[in-house]
Amino acid sequence: MARKMIRVLLVEDEEIHRVMARAAVKAAAGTEDDVLDLAENGAAAVRRVREVAPYDLILMDRQMPVMDGHEATRRIRAMGVTTPIVAVSSDGLPADVEAFIGAGADYFTPKPLSKEKLGNILAKFGLT
Amino acid sequence: MAAALTSQLHALVNNMFATGLLDDQFQQLQMLQDFSAPDFVSEVVTLFCDDGERIIGELARELDKPNVDFDRVDSFAHQLKGSSASVGAQKVKNTCIQFREFCQQRSRDGCLKTLDLVRTEFYDLRNKFQAMLQLEQQIQACYPKH
Repeated sequence: MARKMIRVLLVEDEEIHRVMARAAVKAAAGTEDDVLDLAENGAAAVRRVREVAPYDLILMDRQMPVMDGHEATRRIRAMGVTTPIVAVSSDGLPADVEAFIGAGADYFTPKPLSKEKLGNILAKFGLT
Repeated sequence: MAAALTSQLHALVNNMFATGLLDDQFQQLQMLQDFSAPDFVSEVVTLFCDDGERIIGELARELDKPNVDFDRVDSFAHQLKGSSASVGAQKVKNTCIQFREFCQQRSRDGCLKTLDLVRTEFYDLRNKFQAMLQLEQQIQACYPKH
């Protein structure tokens, strides 16, 4: 049976993590590149969520220029968006996780993303 | 010829694991390389090497200033830690963690000493990555393209 096509927004400012995440999403979901959108900071993510058709999943980095992941998550939730937001950060201390969840994220996974982690995330949110 | 080069490549990568330069994340990286992205590992390793060189330069410049902005320094160290974690550069990642502890203590001396360690670990790994990519290119050159 063919996998469900999904729309993912990846919010990440660093090229190496974008390349890794793109490959992991493709491997885990079998998606084509045109369903993975990129935003290079939190402000760009808020604009995309406002202007583009609904996403199935948002992968959100924390430390970014212009607007960080916590603030972007808060603003997206304030818009009434219920899309699952998964925080992806290399700071995995309990306080970091709690701050992201407090901002409105549904789940936290430490960097780097892998096929296995993405597979688990897609399954968790019923996107497989 | 190709068999000898392949054997050299395996020995080099095995040694990088055995000496703790690399951890399991490098295997995750290799698993993401397929026919649709045959140069994926090379692309990510090259990004890591370029990022690392740039960030180490930024760290040295920031720590050389009369008034060190430790939040800015920590932000660069955070970037290098994340980049290292992506390629499984275990030793570089661990020295970045130590470096950030000195950053939180606002210790310029601690940061400078640890930056030397970061630099040593990074350039050791970069040299080995470069040797690895060179061997891969030589192996590919043994097989004519159709």
